[in-house]
Amino acid sequence: MSTVPAERVPETTGRSVVVFSDALRGDRDAIATALRSLADITSVVGTADDPGGALDPDAAAAADAIAFDALGVAVVARDPSTLAAMVQFAAAPGGEILAVEPERVMHAIAVERPGVAARFADDNAFTWGLRATGVDASSATGRGIRVAVLDTGLDLEHPDFAGRSVTARSFVTGAPARDGHGHGTHVTGTACGSARPAVGRRYGVAAEAEIFTGKVLDDGGAGTDASILAGIDWAITNGCRVVSMSLGADIRQVSTAYETVGRRALAANVLIVAAAGNNASRARGNLGFVGVPANSPSVMAVAAVDADLAIADFSAASNPVEGGQIDIAAPGVDVYSSWPMPRRTNTISGTSMATPHVAGIAALWAQATGAGAQALWDALVQAAQGLDLPASDVGAGLVRAPG
Amino acid sequence: MVDHVTVTVADSHAGVIDEVAAQLRQAGMDVEQVLGTLGVITGSIDDALIAAIEALPGVGAVEQQASFQIPPPDAELQ
Repeated sequence: MSTVPAERVPETTGRSVVVFSDALRGDRDAIATALRSLADITSVVGTADDPGGALDPDAAAAADAIAFDALGVAVVARDPSTLAAMVQFAAAPGGEILAVEPERVMHAIAVERPGVAARFADDNAFTWGLRATGVDASSATGRGIRVAVLDTGLDLEHPDFAGRSVTARSFVTGAPARDGHGHGTHVTGTACGSARPAVGRRYGVAAEAEIFTGKVLDDGGAGTDASILAGIDWAITNGCRVVSMSLGADIRQVSTAYETVGRRALAANVLIVAAAGNNASRARGNLGFVGVPANSPSVMAVAAVDADLAIADFSAASNPVEGGQIDIAAPGVDVYSSWPMPRRTNTISGTSMATPHVAGIAALWAQATGAGAQALWDALVQAAQGLDLPASDVGAGLVRAPG
Repeated sequence: MVDHVTVTVADSHAGVIDEVAAQLRQAGMDVEQVLGTLGVITGSIDDALIAAIEALPGVGAVEQQASFQIPPPDAELQ
């Protein structure tokens, strides 16, 4: 008989688990006979009753005993101490019963940290993301820095962008730069939104940057290399220092075009940041992989963390191809930002939401240091706050704004 | 079958991208964009002709264009 450790009494059901000897394992009749030899046990159901080896839960609930024939184990609807006495009394021949133990209550191993408040939270003044990255305490504003956001466009009538320098251009045939989706307005809000929105807390990083909004995804959210590359070309030609791309395709292989473009952009003093991708499902053991274009060595790949600074369930991990690693992480869960009117704001999640935090903070560093693109990359990586997480998930860690 | 392709111009020919584009047209490519700042040319071509344009001087790589798709506006995960 097993004993229960004194320091932690497990929950039990009042039923017993009976373990049979190997000789009986798999022998349905012998197990049933052994069970029935114990005083008052009459009804026995077993997994052998079902051709698929599954148990009918209703029949099981009504029975005196449930035999898991293949395991040589039975659950008996009798108190364990009573049953143990019966076993000793019956003195089953041949040592058929090895043990009688109380049936324990098992719980799923929860992934969430119970009862502990998140490390960061949205408050009246700032989003949790601006708090976590130090934007709330930064004196830099991105003034004089041009930031390109290549996405579904921008709601050009949104009151939070009134009075801002916005240059809009569409690379989608037949569609204006106006955002008919919402994604583009959200990511532009995070990268470059106002320091004082008319309503609600601040959500924008580089609040005085010049906004270059390139529509490269249509209002259904679809785009092609042709429109994205045209948008990058436009951003470089217009002297943007940072290009934010909250888009990607689930392709492992590095694209020569994006790798070459990222390299030529750096040489032209332009830093491209891109979303790592949302193709992970970590709770189910799938770490995902960084896709095109973020898997180019010359493009900064951004992972998403939550308000506890834990890796987001969906955030893709490094891909073993050269350049396929995560470079940096940023807030990407429950991110509050602008949305096309009349809705005004929306709170959503994704590596798409993490990416513009890095792009906006890159603009702050560009303003604060005057650094060129490669130096800007190095500054972001060096200033990143180390996290107690694998580099394959978060790269250098959490992006941080200059003081 | 016609493929949408992205042609990456080799560093050695970055300054003469228009000449590379002219050669691509001559080889049967329907050139849509010549992105001089990037050194990239986009367009479409019969897939049987891809090997031929890959061999042209100044052509660094020819890749099929990828499509990108973000989730619909009402999705919580973007």
